[in-house]
Amino acid sequence: MSPRRAVAVLAALTLLLTACGLGSGSTVPLQVGPGSIKPTPGLEGVKITVGSKEYTEQVILGYILEYTLAAAGADVRDLTGIVGSRSTRGAQLSGQVDVAYEFTGNAWINYLGHEKPIGDTRKQFEAVRDEDLARNGMVWLEPGPMDDTYALAASKRTVERTGVRTLSEYAALVQRDPAAARTCVDTEFRARQDGFPGMAAAYGFDPARAVTPILQVGIIYQATADGTQCDFGEVFTTDGRIAALDLAVLTDDKQFFAHYNPSVTMKQSFFDAHPEIAEVTAPVTAALTNDVVIELNKQVDVEGRDPSVVARDWMVSRGFVTAR
Amino acid sequence: MSTATETATAGAPATTPAERIRLFIQPVLVLIVAAAVVFWAFDRDLTATQKENINAGNVATLIWQHLLITAAVTAIVVLVGVPLGVLVTRPGAKALRPLFIGIANVGQAAPAIGLLVLLFLLTARTGFWIGVAPIALYSLLPVLSSTILGIDQVDRSLMDAGLGQGMSRVALLARVELPLAVPYILAGLRTSLVLAVGTATLSFLVNAGGLGILIDTGYKLQDNVTLILGSVLAVCLALLMDWLGGLAEFYVGPKGLR
Repeated sequence: MSPRRAVAVLAALTLLLTACGLGSGSTVPLQVGPGSIKPTPGLEGVKITVGSKEYTEQVILGYILEYTLAAAGADVRDLTGIVGSRSTRGAQLSGQVDVAYEFTGNAWINYLGHEKPIGDTRKQFEAVRDEDLARNGMVWLEPGPMDDTYALAASKRTVERTGVRTLSEYAALVQRDPAAARTCVDTEFRARQDGFPGMAAAYGFDPARAVTPILQVGIIYQATADGTQCDFGEVFTTDGRIAALDLAVLTDDKQFFAHYNPSVTMKQSFFDAHPEIAEVTAPVTAALTNDVVIELNKQVDVEGRDPSVVARDWMVSRGFVTAR
Repeated sequence: MSTATETATAGAPATTPAERIRLFIQPVLVLIVAAAVVFWAFDRDLTATQKENINAGNVATLIWQHLLITAAVTAIVVLVGVPLGVLVTRPGAKALRPLFIGIANVGQAAPAIGLLVLLFLLTARTGFWIGVAPIALYSLLPVLSSTILGIDQVDRSLMDAGLGQGMSRVALLARVELPLAVPYILAGLRTSLVLAVGTATLSFLVNAGGLGILIDTGYKLQDNVTLILGSVLAVCLALLMDWLGGLAEFYVGPKGLR
């Protein structure tokens, strides 16, 4: 082989290798050092690819998981921002993504194909953990307290005017005076059995009596805050706009809505090789409450900060990691 | 004289035999396809979630809402587009032409979904007219530009003949220019109508209803039955509107040009 040809082959090989490197994700956006999370012998130098879906909250959770594992010494690859639940799940099942935060209710309804959720948070988690392990070999670690689910919200003024603070009181208002309980919904919530029709059945009001203007999801927050087009609106409980627009979330006193608690998920084979992940991630997952996540979502969606910085700053403020 | 007649005839495509056959066959085919998709969707084991949308009352309401949106858009587009087109072809107002053409261009170039959300944010209101207005703006351009084209193409010699007979400017407009422009205006309206039916599938975003509800629900829930039902019905409505436009071109156009 002539020298020139050898150089060409070498160049081609280098290109191929870098291309492979790009294929498995990019590096973690910000460097962090150990805090209360210490370098863990079983994880040091282990290549771990962290994935997430594309929306703000999932990207923030993805970064939090990355910083957690990086502080424990793992060689983390970043695959946050995969478009759609199904693609993210597919990447995990095929082994492109090793670990990701997944929500219990989402797996129960979308991946495991159940139409009706389980009312109790704990029982819902256990049902998902057992069934997903048996059917797909996926391991679910202990879930965190945040619950990103459907809810009805209203402006503070509407709450004062109507006195409605719970969904039972809302149901009573719909039966008594539907015109005072105009409720903005989107197409999906309106049709889903774990959405409006199911809620009406659980709280014993006639869904046909309710006045339900159909709006685009994003518009509902503003319309509910304005109070001119609708008195109540469908929201997601951890959306940053709840804080930004000062909305009050009605209590789901009969525990009807599905529970979407976050849990670190991975394939059984990966968990068996690196069981330390459970211990390392547990305190971080446990710190994820609704208030925390609403605030982090707000910093990104309303204030326009970068999700990787928001996630890092929160972890530093809790002492989990140190900034570098 | 003969050149003018030829140009005007080209604007009235409903004169060819193929077009006559199409005017007869199109509605029949549309009705067959619509009936088939409705039968296909209703004649299966639907889940409780699907039944929220796929029931006779709901589907009929959505089709009706879609027709109302389309009718309102058509009315606005004709009532605004034609007078505006006439205005900017008057000798004294030609300077306004780039302005209105520009506005209509922006209306069509801007994403309809953005116009809808923007109008909601500006007015803090939702409902039928908030869903109709952006779609009217979106569909305005074809009617406006075809009105201008239709009037511009009228042969100078015909105008001179009219003036020579002692017609006023108004009479000239009403008896020479507009009749000769009608085939063009109707061709533009036909395009506008089809655009309006398609874009009206977005009106539901601001509580104006329509078949978009079926399409969006089906898409979000990965429910192909609801998605296909909504899409095919919207396509059928668009073809029906196209057919009505064709009929209008055939019957409303000036008899002498047929």
